[in-house]
Order: sequence, then C-alpha cells, then structure tokens
Amino acid sequence: MKFLAIFAAASLTGVFPQIDHAPRYQFAGSDQLAFQITQGAPADVFAAASPKYPEQLYAQRLCSKPAVFATNTVVLIVPRANPAGIRSVYDLRRSGIKLVIGAKGVPIGDYTRKLLANLGLSDVLQNVVSEEDDVKLVVAKVAYGEADAGFVYRTDVKPVGAKVFRIGVPAAGQPTVQYEMCIPTTAKHPALAAAFMREVLSKRGRTTLRDAGFGLP
Amino acid sequence: MKAVFGLAAAVTLTFLVLPVLAIFLQVSPATLLHELGDPVARDALVVSVRTTLIAQALIVVFGTPTAYLLATRRFRGRNVVLTFVELPLVLPPAVAGIGLLAAFGRMGLLPAGVAFTQTAVVLAVTFVAAPFYVRTAIASFEGVDPQLVAAARTLGAGPWRVFGRVALPLAAGGLGAGLALSFARGLGEFGATIMFAGSLQRVTETLPLAIYAEFARSFDVALAIGALLVAFSFILLLVVKWLRFGWTSPFRFVPSTSA
Repeated sequence: MKFLAIFAAASLTGVFPQIDHAPRYQFAGSDQLAFQITQGAPADVFAAASPKYPEQLYAQRLCSKPAVFATNTVVLIVPRANPAGIRSVYDLRRSGIKLVIGAKGVPIGDYTRKLLANLGLSDVLQNVVSEEDDVKLVVAKVAYGEADAGFVYRTDVKPVGAKVFRIGVPAAGQPTVQYEMCIPTTAKHPALAAAFMREVLSKRGRTTLRDAGFGLP
Repeated sequence: MKAVFGLAAAVTLTFLVLPVLAIFLQVSPATLLHELGDPVARDALVVSVRTTLIAQALIVVFGTPTAYLLATRRFRGRNVVLTFVELPLVLPPAVAGIGLLAAFGRMGLLPAGVAFTQTAVVLAVTFVAAPFYVRTAIASFEGVDPQLVAAARTLGAGPWRVFGRVALPLAAGGLGAGLALSFARGLGEFGATIMFAGSLQRVTETLPLAIYAEFARSFDVALAIGALLVAFSFILLLVVKWLRFGWTSPFRFVPSTSA
C-alpha cells in the first residue's frame, strides 16, 4: 500500500483531509516543514501558507515549480467572553492587552507584522505576550481564553466558532496571503503527488477550499 | 561471553554518546561560541538562569521540610503521598502543561492570570523539577542513623536543633545531589513551559524553547544552545556523583544510583 506523505501548513489541517483523506499528513508551521524537507524528509507534496518557502526550495532545486492554489485573509479573534473588551484592531493599542501572534518566519507571524505595519499599528507588538510556532497554537491560546486576542486566518475561525469572536481587519491593511504547493525532489511517489495536486486544483477541490473559507486564485 | 557483553556495551555507549558528540562536531567550537553571542541565545540564557534559580529557591525552602516530615513520620496513606510527589517525574511534560493551565490558567481552578509571564515559567519548572529534589531529600533523611537523632534528643537537643545540627549536616550530601538533579531537569524543561507560559524572547523564551524556535531559522544558534546545555548538564551530573560518593564512598567506584 502506497501512502502519500503530504507536508501542509497548519491552516490546512481541516480542509486537506476533506479533499483527500487517504494520504498521511503532517501539519505544522510552513517554515518547519521547509526545514525538514531541506534535511531530506521524504515529503511527496509541500503545501505552504506563503510563497516564500516553496519558492526558496524551488530556487535551491529542492522542489518542482510551485503553483498557487488558494488565498486567505488575516482576522483578529478574541475569546467569547472578550475579557479585554476588544472591538477593533485599534483597541489593541491599549496597554495591558495580552496579544498572541505567530513567530517571525512562520507565515501567519510575517503576515501579522505586515498587516500591523500597513495600518501603522506596529507599536501594538509591545502587547505581544507569546509568539507561537504555527497558527493553530495561536488559535488554541485564544480559544482557551488564555490570551485576549490573536491574529489568525479567516479559515481558522469556523472550527472554534463556539469559543471565539471574529473581528474583521480593515481591507487597507490586508497582506496578500497566497498558498503555494510543489513536489519536493525527495518525493517517493512523484506521480501520485502530481495527481494529488490536480485533485486540489480540480473543481471539487476548489469547491471544498471555498466552502472552508479560502479564496481562490 | 566477555566478547558478547563487550560488544553490547560498545553499541550502547556509542548510541548514547554519538548524538551528544554530534552537536559539537557539526560546527567548529569557534562558531559555537560565536553563535552563543546571538541575542536570542543570550536572552534565553538570562531567562533560563533567572527562572531556574527562583524555582530552585522555592524547591529548597518548601521541599526540605516536606522531605524531612515524609522521611521521619509513618502514617496511613504515606505511600499515596509519596506517589503524588513522584508523579511529575513520569508524567509527560505536555500533561504537566495542560494541568498547570487547568489549575492556574484564566479558566482554571485558581485563576491566577499568570500565563505568559515569567511566573508561569517558574511554576512550570518548579512542578517538573521539585520531585527530583524532594525524592532524593527523603532518601537522604531516611539514611540518617536514627540512633544519632535519639542520642541528640536524650542529650537535651530540641527538635529544631536536632534538625539543624544533626539531620541536616548528615543529609547534606544527598540534598546537594538532589538539588543538582532538579536544577538540571529544570533547566531542560520544555513541554509544560511552552504550553503554559508561551514563548516570547526576553520574557518566557528559555534555552530549550529557543532551540525549538531557532532550529528551523538558524540551525547553528540551535546547536550552540544545545552544546551549552550539554556541557552544563554534564557538569551537574558529575557534581551529583561527587556530592553523593566523593568523600564518603566506601566503594572503589561510584555506584550508579544517580537518579
């Protein structure tokens, strides 16, 4: 029995198994997955939450030419109880707020910093109490009520919808969030990997992505 | 037989030593030293030393009387109490993390609101490291000859004096060894910290957390921090052996009961 090994961004945790439940998935921060691939991990497909790492691997001839397959937007979430009374991103400037974001180098962390810079809110970073290694860890810290707020993807909200409120971010601040995938040269089943990529890009794959809240390129 | 056992020993030792050695062989010592100057490594060192020292102080102040009581009293349910004391030794750190959140998190039993602070790091380190000290301390107090204690009492020494002048000095070697062990465990604490205290440079990012954060970003910095922890742990374990057997050992070689 051949199993595909799919290395995918943490934000794809819910949607990829809906598109195809057969492969073995590893969901983590895109930077960690990229590092594992450079260390020789036998990934058949690498799907990242930003073009940065697939393009880097491609430039090093460690994977095939990356293809964009989805887009996303960054939102702010707060616990249902909203202990800090946050209504908009501008409330994050108040001191004493416990804000959790992604670490530098992790796609959500880089997008968050870009978004805050776009809105002239970079001083909000002073309220950061923890930098997490992938977006699902940010979601967990907010959903459990430990943090007052966190920046995550729009698509992360639905699975924890009962525990958090979503607060939109002004469109002017939105960074371009693009998901890219490629087939690493370490792939053991490149033909099946190509079939998986076609599945993601197929009409059904696109519908599944859209239903989960992703945008389509 | 000699050859077979020798071969097994060679395989075992190689397997245990190789990953530790590899950390030092992957890059030059000069690079290791240079990378330790990286701000991430320096900040993590400060956070680690600070939180571990505070945790050790708490462990000694609260753990020593606890160990003395448990060593000198016999009561119903003593085994259950001892088992609770030992439990963190075998619990997966992730369980410790989720337990600390359930106890001291915002939604916890005692909502202390300490998550994401250095206090949270200290709590996590104390929780996982304390049993190493308390357990060794109990054994050391139990090893104090009861006849010496009885003699001191009959000569008129009160309980404070017996504790301070007889039990404590006689158990000191073991207490020191326990302290070194719990220090080493506390310095290496990872799972409970990252879940309960999060990770932020200069605040809650300890040395092990920095290794995890850096390994995908800068492998050399991660290696350098790893090398520092290896060297430190090695020294601590050697200290444990000296403290325990250095000047009192009736054996020609060190018996291997260090954990």
